[in-house]
Amino acid sequence: MLVTWKYRPRGTFLDSLDPRSRWITSFLILFAMVPIWHPYVMVGYFCLSMTQFFLSRLTWQETKRVWFFIIFLIVIVIGLNAIITGRGGPGEIQRLEPHVLWERSFNILGATWTPNITVEKIGFGITQMFRMMGTAVLFFIIPWTIDPSKYGVTFSGMGIPYRFAFSMDLAFRFVPTLARDFATTVDSQRARGYEVERLEGGLITQIRRVAPLIVPVVMNAIVNGEDITNAMDLRCFGQDKRTWIGKLQYRTRDYFWIGIGVAVFLGALYLNWGLNLENFFVPTWFYGLFGVVP
Amino acid sequence: MKDSNMWSFGTRQVVYAAIGAALYGVFSWATNFIPLPSVGNVTFRPAVVIPAFFGVAFGPLVGFLAGGIGNVLGDFLSGWGFFWNWSLGNGLMGLIPGLMAASVVSFKDRGTITKAIMYAIGGVVVGMLFASLTEMFTSGIDISTALVGYFTPAAIGNAIVIAVLLPIVMVAYDAVAARSGR
Amino acid sequence: MLDIIKHVHHTPRTLMTAETNALPLSIRDLKFTYRIREQAAIENINLDLHPGELMLVAGASGSGKTTLMRCINGLIPRSYRGKLEGDMRLFGQSLADLTMAELSQQVGTLLQDPERQIVASYVVNEVAFGLENLGLPREEILPRVDEALDYLNIGYLRDRETFSLSGGEKQKVALAGVLAMRPRILILDEPLASLDPASAFEALELFRHLADEGISIMLVEHRVDDVLAIKPDSVFYMENGREMYKGAPDGLMAVADYHRIKLPAEYVLQRARSEAPSVFTPAVGENNGAGPQLLAQFKNVTFRYDKDLPNVLQDVSFDIHTGDIIAILGPNGAGKSTLVKHALGLLKPTSGEVLLQGESTRTKTVAQAAHTVGYVFQNPGQMLFAPTVQEELAFGPKNLRMDAATVTTNVDWAIETVNMEEYRESPPLALSYGQQKRVSIAAILAMRSRLLMMDEPTAGQDYWNYRAFMDSILQMPGFGAVIFITHDVDLALVYANRILLLADGQLAADGPPAKVMADEALLRRCRVLPTSLLHLNLKHLPQTGRLMRAEELAHAIG
Repeated sequence: MLVTWKYRPRGTFLDSLDPRSRWITSFLILFAMVPIWHPYVMVGYFCLSMTQFFLSRLTWQETKRVWFFIIFLIVIVIGLNAIITGRGGPGEIQRLEPHVLWERSFNILGATWTPNITVEKIGFGITQMFRMMGTAVLFFIIPWTIDPSKYGVTFSGMGIPYRFAFSMDLAFRFVPTLARDFATTVDSQRARGYEVERLEGGLITQIRRVAPLIVPVVMNAIVNGEDITNAMDLRCFGQDKRTWIGKLQYRTRDYFWIGIGVAVFLGALYLNWGLNLENFFVPTWFYGLFGVVP
Repeated sequence: MKDSNMWSFGTRQVVYAAIGAALYGVFSWATNFIPLPSVGNVTFRPAVVIPAFFGVAFGPLVGFLAGGIGNVLGDFLSGWGFFWNWSLGNGLMGLIPGLMAASVVSFKDRGTITKAIMYAIGGVVVGMLFASLTEMFTSGIDISTALVGYFTPAAIGNAIVIAVLLPIVMVAYDAVAARSGR
Repeated sequence: MLDIIKHVHHTPRTLMTAETNALPLSIRDLKFTYRIREQAAIENINLDLHPGELMLVAGASGSGKTTLMRCINGLIPRSYRGKLEGDMRLFGQSLADLTMAELSQQVGTLLQDPERQIVASYVVNEVAFGLENLGLPREEILPRVDEALDYLNIGYLRDRETFSLSGGEKQKVALAGVLAMRPRILILDEPLASLDPASAFEALELFRHLADEGISIMLVEHRVDDVLAIKPDSVFYMENGREMYKGAPDGLMAVADYHRIKLPAEYVLQRARSEAPSVFTPAVGENNGAGPQLLAQFKNVTFRYDKDLPNVLQDVSFDIHTGDIIAILGPNGAGKSTLVKHALGLLKPTSGEVLLQGESTRTKTVAQAAHTVGYVFQNPGQMLFAPTVQEELAFGPKNLRMDAATVTTNVDWAIETVNMEEYRESPPLALSYGQQKRVSIAAILAMRSRLLMMDEPTAGQDYWNYRAFMDSILQMPGFGAVIFITHDVDLALVYANRILLLADGQLAADGPPAKVMADEALLRRCRVLPTSLLHLNLKHLPQTGRLMRAEELAHAIG
């Protein structure tokens, strides 16, 4: 089993940014959007995320798996949410008078359950979709667009103690080795007649069946860890100060990028408290689509 | 060498946090290719035993990084992207069992194993609750949706896997630990 | 004191030697007892190491070599606790007064398996690691990294991923990481263990060169035979934690136990004459006088992983009969493991076919093939998982759906055959490496597979242990044929009755050892290096008619 990281240099504007500015701006935008439910603002948020996605020049082929995953998740979650309560985060649509399009009562174990579909729920669901897509697209491009060898120095540069940051680098270093070891163990056990494909027995038995595959890999890795620890101690790991040869430097374009993040953040604060545009509402034209007069 | 302070983070902890994270990432990814037991919409991911075990064996910080970084790596490898709140939740799944690391005398002791399972399941509850509840703010779902859609399937699956696999891994580690000269 | 160290560190080498006349290393009455043991691991150790001296530290496993090295590089007592007594001085300064940072800039250590000491994903980061930890400025680190890489002629690896390097390259990169810290003493802990003979030879020449440049080297190795080729300046030989010999290499031949460490064949030959002749009769393929049966057939097997990739195996054909003890010999990357994986059906041929007792592996699952072929992977740690040896051994037979009574009978027989009755209830993960190796063989025995295949069966074991291991496997009843992959020429010539020589995915030769090994040009073409034992055997071949171990040869030629 050969693992491959998704990252490769694509010569894009995003590539040329300091990874720290990428993280900072992404989180600024995320936090800016948390309190806001205004549907038009959410569409704007989604467009912002998509702009970043297009800047990354990722192809459909590379990312189709994650798109399917996100869309599947969103459909399930929004559907579930609509059926169960239809309410969202801060209970937005409770304030609105429901305009019922469909309703039915079920009797379950003596209790009556009345799911319905209202114009407000549909409107909320669509807003929610833009919001969830926006958030997912904002972050999911990270593995494709940030060089895995830069994580340690990036987080160290953002003030995380270097031991934690180095753990991250070391984890990336171990992944291909452990993936290979896992493949070897799978082969070893198959040589002893173990059939990976076969699921049999009850749930507990099925779960126990993976022990021969994971226990050897884990224990071997732990034993080898002693040598790695020694090797690191022998090369002075753990002094007060550590240099990272990977060089990170903020350049004009980074200040520009962070500037966008700050602007969005401040803009969101202004929308929220200055203009009071944070709340969810259903536009009149939307009611019109269903022939309903609010 | 047993560290007196469970929050200390020396070379050994750096190494085991990285190993735990890499293992969690690799197993999460590799089990994409192996049929996994499932009941309804609950899939049982054997990999989740890793952060719990690394917490119990090497302390809360190692557990936290094994779970947190490991989840990031698993998502990276599988091509799922990056979900920061679930990674933090996975970190908690390793951190909380780590709170009992200092009290471990023997990894094959029945009492210790029971206690480890309790802590680890506590970790699953807290970690998955954290991730599910943050979805309320980011995705704008209702608390019941968070509990039904996210929390329950994730927590039940993870808790059962841990209850089954954690004892096996702990007993195996007991034998390995006996060989270390430190 | 810190200032002195700093000053010394930044002073050019020549100046420093003039300043401190003390020896690089001087050890007096060293004794160490691990915290968890009662008996001392090493005791009464005295040695001096001179500038530019290449000292071979020899001894079997358990002789205390590793403990001694840990005392010198500071892991004892800093990482491994216990009672340390005696006096150790580094350039006249007591080792106990130095911090790890100070010490590691003087003493560099290369650990046994480069895979377990490389900590970075990229070569340049790996070499820079120590200097980064010392907090030196980037501007100083990068030139030193390039200097270390250029010194070892591996500048071209600078931006490569460490994972994709070959074993020999990994070791050079690890060494560069140590050299970048400019140590004045270098400890090399069994540096040849994970290398094939050609890379090992290259590595040894490099070590000699480093010593000639002025670095003092302690080279820990049980393959004394190979190390003598680079003419070490001195030898320190240990047994049971004590010094047995110290001095010029020649003197070692007279005192060292040639069963425990691998001495050059000529010396073994001389000394074995005075011993009782050893008798070694393999039991492989015994079937009560019935003639050899066909177990497996490779028919024009060609294999590649992907249609865009080159062939790993190219038109390989051969048969395996009962009674065969086959060594598959060839350098790394020749396709040895790929070949063996085909026998079990873990890989299926791209063209051609593999037949197991007449049936193609294409129509069989791996589990069905396991009835015929037992495959033991290199590292037993990669398969052991059960809480007891008994359960570990029952795993295979149960997978093969044998009934409970048969499982018990087979497990009992397997445990008995490998002589591990007393460990029946022990956790395999707590056993020593050699014992784990035996458990991995027993796991195959318990499945009653007729054909035993082993990948590098001697890896990770010292000379004494691997000889005992191979002797006992080949004397076990139950196997119809044994195949092992190795790059150790001596192992092949001592144990095999047939050799498959593999180079670049093709079968370069297939025949009895005396015939295949006599063609030195062929061996060299396949990057297999002849050894002193082979030369000695070939010299006496007209008289003996076959190849044999040096002890046996001593009596065969009278």
